[in-house]
Amino acid sequence: MKIIIPKERYPGEKRVATSPSIVTQLIDLGFDVSIETNAGVAASFTDIEYQSVGAKIVDDANLLFIDADIVLKVRAPILEANNGFDEISAMKAGTILISFIWPAQNEVLLQRLADQKITVLAMDAVPRISRAQKMDALSSMANIAGYRAVIEAANTFGRFFTGQITAAGRIKPAKVMVIGAGVAGLSAIGTAKSLGAIVRAFDTRLEVKDQILSLDAEFLELDFSEDSSGAGGYAKTMSKEFIDAEMALFAEQAKDVDIIITTALIPGKPAPLLITADMVKSMKQGSVIVDLAAEQGGNCALTEAHEIVIQHGVTIIGYCNLPSRLAAQSSQLYASNIFHLLAELVPDKNGQIIINMENEVIRATTVVKDGVITWSPPIAPAPAKVVTKSQPKNMEIIPMADKEESALNRFIRDITLAALGGCILWGLGLIAPASFMAHFSVFILACFVGYMVIWNVSASLHTPLMSITNAISSIIILGALLQVSSSINTIMWLSSFAILIASINIVGGFSVTHRMLKMFTK
Amino acid sequence: MPENLITATYLGAAILFILALDGLSSHESARKGILYGITGMLLAVAATVLNSSVTNYLMIVITMAIGSLLGLSVAARVQMVQMPQLVAILHSSVGLAAILIGYSNYMDTSIHFSGNEKTIHDIEVYLSIYIGALTFSGSIIAFGKLSAILDGKPLLLPGRHALNLLLFTATLILGWLFVAPASPEAAYIALYIMTAIGIIYGIHMVIAIGGADMPIVISMLNSYSGWAAAATGFMLSNDLLIIVGALVGSSGAILSYIICNAMNRNFISVITGGFGTKKISKSSVLNNDGEVISIDITTAAALLQQAKKVMIVPGYGMAVAHAQHAVSGITQLLMSRGVNVRFGIHPVAGRMPGHMNVLLAEAKIPYDAVFEMEEINDDFANIDVTIVIGANDTVNPAALDDPDSPIAGMPVLEVWHSKTTIVLKRGMSTGYSGIENPLFTKENTRMLFGDAKTSMDALLIELS
Repeated sequence: MKIIIPKERYPGEKRVATSPSIVTQLIDLGFDVSIETNAGVAASFTDIEYQSVGAKIVDDANLLFIDADIVLKVRAPILEANNGFDEISAMKAGTILISFIWPAQNEVLLQRLADQKITVLAMDAVPRISRAQKMDALSSMANIAGYRAVIEAANTFGRFFTGQITAAGRIKPAKVMVIGAGVAGLSAIGTAKSLGAIVRAFDTRLEVKDQILSLDAEFLELDFSEDSSGAGGYAKTMSKEFIDAEMALFAEQAKDVDIIITTALIPGKPAPLLITADMVKSMKQGSVIVDLAAEQGGNCALTEAHEIVIQHGVTIIGYCNLPSRLAAQSSQLYASNIFHLLAELVPDKNGQIIINMENEVIRATTVVKDGVITWSPPIAPAPAKVVTKSQPKNMEIIPMADKEESALNRFIRDITLAALGGCILWGLGLIAPASFMAHFSVFILACFVGYMVIWNVSASLHTPLMSITNAISSIIILGALLQVSSSINTIMWLSSFAILIASINIVGGFSVTHRMLKMFTK
Repeated sequence: MPENLITATYLGAAILFILALDGLSSHESARKGILYGITGMLLAVAATVLNSSVTNYLMIVITMAIGSLLGLSVAARVQMVQMPQLVAILHSSVGLAAILIGYSNYMDTSIHFSGNEKTIHDIEVYLSIYIGALTFSGSIIAFGKLSAILDGKPLLLPGRHALNLLLFTATLILGWLFVAPASPEAAYIALYIMTAIGIIYGIHMVIAIGGADMPIVISMLNSYSGWAAAATGFMLSNDLLIIVGALVGSSGAILSYIICNAMNRNFISVITGGFGTKKISKSSVLNNDGEVISIDITTAAALLQQAKKVMIVPGYGMAVAHAQHAVSGITQLLMSRGVNVRFGIHPVAGRMPGHMNVLLAEAKIPYDAVFEMEEINDDFANIDVTIVIGANDTVNPAALDDPDSPIAGMPVLEVWHSKTTIVLKRGMSTGYSGIENPLFTKENTRMLFGDAKTSMDALLIELS
């Protein structure tokens, strides 16, 4: 089947749906690949690079679309014709379109694609399950957006992020607050941290606390218990009391921090308002806010989507195209996500796509099939992490309960054993001759000495322990030495042989132990 | 040499042997410990040879000289990977010596006992030969399995428990016939048959035990070789033999106990039946929707370059692939860059207790970077990258998560708590226990497929 990659026609979009390295892999899957001329230029991928890995370069967009089976795109197709070219009309019936679609927000588009009988796989509808992680373009883009948000903030912010002690005096590190620790938030935390800033992070989902702490950031906690983990790992709307407490925390932090990066989104709803105009006013001059939710209305009251504005001396960045501002990186990751989806669609690697609606991932991703809108898929269950975490704890409780229960049994058992041991010793004392009892005492005491000494042996020296005990257990040689002088020939030969093998053991055991111990160095 | 002086020398030797074992409590004192051991052995042998009844010096000098030369050459040539085999074969010679000494003692008509003393002495002879016989044959089989001359899989005869019971009963009956014989010839016949039974029993016991349980077998045979020496000591009324035998016997017993604990196995069930003989129930095969994420050398190197704390978890597979020197190279390189590199060792890693430590020491990895499971298991959360080389069951999260798993309850190295885990593996095969490892499909696990040595060599080049 033939894959085409047209140029992105959305104004200012620099990304492209595939990269030269991924083209190689697509060809390996059995596809033919054609690319519109200069499609990758803004993402630093030239036509020559694409051509060199086996892609065909096509100048005319109409020619490109004419025999396309699969269209790979980044942005959803534009409804109106642009520069005399209409992407949707150009696709013939039966074409498979793979791109971001946002079906919930774009009903008109979805209907038009369905009317055209185009099969649509929405990259934004890939389910959030671990198997589909490698296809999760939203996470890839969010990761980049989080990184870029910090870079944009650093670009505007007039000071260092990291603290330093210089000859000219001490430089204080910048303080960054990240609201929302999803993929973008965590990426922002990591980036800000590696630039040397003091990073604090807030999230309504308590389960992300560990992830925040693992990045060496501080977790801002409310004195309030309400967890908000919703379906598919996203947050849900919180109660009013919770929001009040949260706002008080932000108001207090706003006075202290230099940079605020907000990433709070609730699926299918406008972004929650978290930073009020008053909070912006209370921030220090020169502070920066990066609002990653700008496209959904913004987390900050003063955000203007797509723009940078300065309000009360605070720069508020409302860019909606942060991934596009890192076009080479985001194109590479997006292309890789698409490749993994295609690999799932082509189980036999023969270039023939099978849209198997039994496959959970493909079912969720397919939003239009054969002219029918199949959006929205069955709801994904709540994240399973909580379950796996609590399991080992349960396991620990069971044996502990067991132990307590059996304390009495154990006491009875110990008493019985002691009594039994006593009886055996007493019985032995009655019948055995004195000489045997003397040896027996030595034996039992030696067992106890051995028990005490061996428990102290370092576990790393257990192998030398075995070889040295091997050598000393050949003390058995003494028996042979005493008998070798016997006048009976058989005894003499048997003993001689015993001396021979026991001395192999003694010398071999000691010298190999010595050899091993010599190797242990600090 | 007067009798009392010999006894005093024996006492000194016994104390030196205890000090030798005590020395092994730390690496610093261990080398001094071995000197104590050698001195103790020299004193004991010298005192015995100077006994007035010993006259055949020619034979003693010849046999000891040959034996020492053989021992030295074996010890100098053995590779550290082969240590378990060496220890097994040395155990067998203790067993054989016990048999030989037992027979020659019984044949020696110059010693006379009567009444209870005779009965007890006969029982001692019988026991020392029996324990010697099963130590001898069991160790030979263990040697064969460890050096891959014999198949490592457990060989389970039908009705093996009945067979064991039969052998045991026969041993008891023969013991009775031996102690209260109809004629002197009948006593010898009973002794011969019993020796054969002891040998068969030793073979049967070890052949039914699987490769993964070898550390337990080795420790157990270690213990038996001690008991054989102790039984010989009783037979000869020699306290030094009794003391040393008891020390070695309890040492082996404790090692077996430690290993059984580390595998969450019952000692009795190990020696009566092989591991992996349990049928794996369907439910224990985990349904997880995770997919294996494989990476190449370049990515692995990039992961390591960004890591500040690295943990390496080696298993016997590392030794099989001879990858420890490449691992050592990577360790030294990372350490020189200020990376905190540590090793986490599971108690059953390798083929005998402490084997992995010896292999790492041979590869010049500093022993203060090598930690036991209990010391570092809580630390994995702070680790950036964990590298698992040739280990499988000892890092299987199913042991904690899945109560139906055959290895449920076995303590494992919780590598999955680290930020990223790189698993070096040839393919997706299972470990000794034959069960799936859900670690491989965890989100933060990356599989680096290929031969461990080739991969580690390539990684070393990529890093430097």
